[in-house]
Amino acid sequence: MNCYEHTLITRHDIQENQNQNIIEKYQNIINKNSGKVVKVEEWGLKNLSYEIKKNKKGHYIHIKFDGIGKTIEELENAENIDEMLIRFLTVKVKKHDLETNYFEKKESTVTIEKK
Amino acid sequence: MKRKKNIKRKSSAYSSLSLFQKSGTKFFKPCPLSGKEAPIVNYKNIKVLKKYISESGRILPSRVTSVSQKKQKELARAIKQARVLALI
Repeated sequence: MNCYEHTLITRHDIQENQNQNIIEKYQNIINKNSGKVVKVEEWGLKNLSYEIKKNKKGHYIHIKFDGIGKTIEELENAENIDEMLIRFLTVKVKKHDLETNYFEKKESTVTIEKK
Repeated sequence: MKRKKNIKRKSSAYSSLSLFQKSGTKFFKPCPLSGKEAPIVNYKNIKVLKKYISESGRILPSRVTSVSQKKQKELARAIKQARVLALI
């Protein structure tokens, strides 16, 4: 098993419920393909430093998970088709860093309380 | 490396007088990213990465910033990853 960090950028004009659906959808894909989600962070709505597919803003979602090569293959196949996403990036790390959050926002804690 | 250090010790009294400096000799400057309390180089740590790119977004050479060879490799990779996510 390897440790991976995965970041998604979703379009800014979608509703908040859809954002939650997207997170659940990809969590399921990871869990089904012999992976395990460790942590999900929401960085919130941020300005993109350059335009991507005519978008200037995007919601950032950060997922930390353990998995194997097949997990990523399935995950990225599903993401390539998805029209809600602007971009994604997978980075392999030696160890999960669960303490520091470089994009801490109060909004993310509020959404958890509502649940 | 040893030679550079020696140069600095000898010329420390005259370090302000750059006029008398031999052409081609450099003063030794420690790497700002290695050491005990150095910041972590990571594609999420934009504050650090922004110091090492130019105004137009290009990566600065290590001869300007005096970053060590090892850290410069890490830095270049982190900057490229941050670019993909449109963070820089």
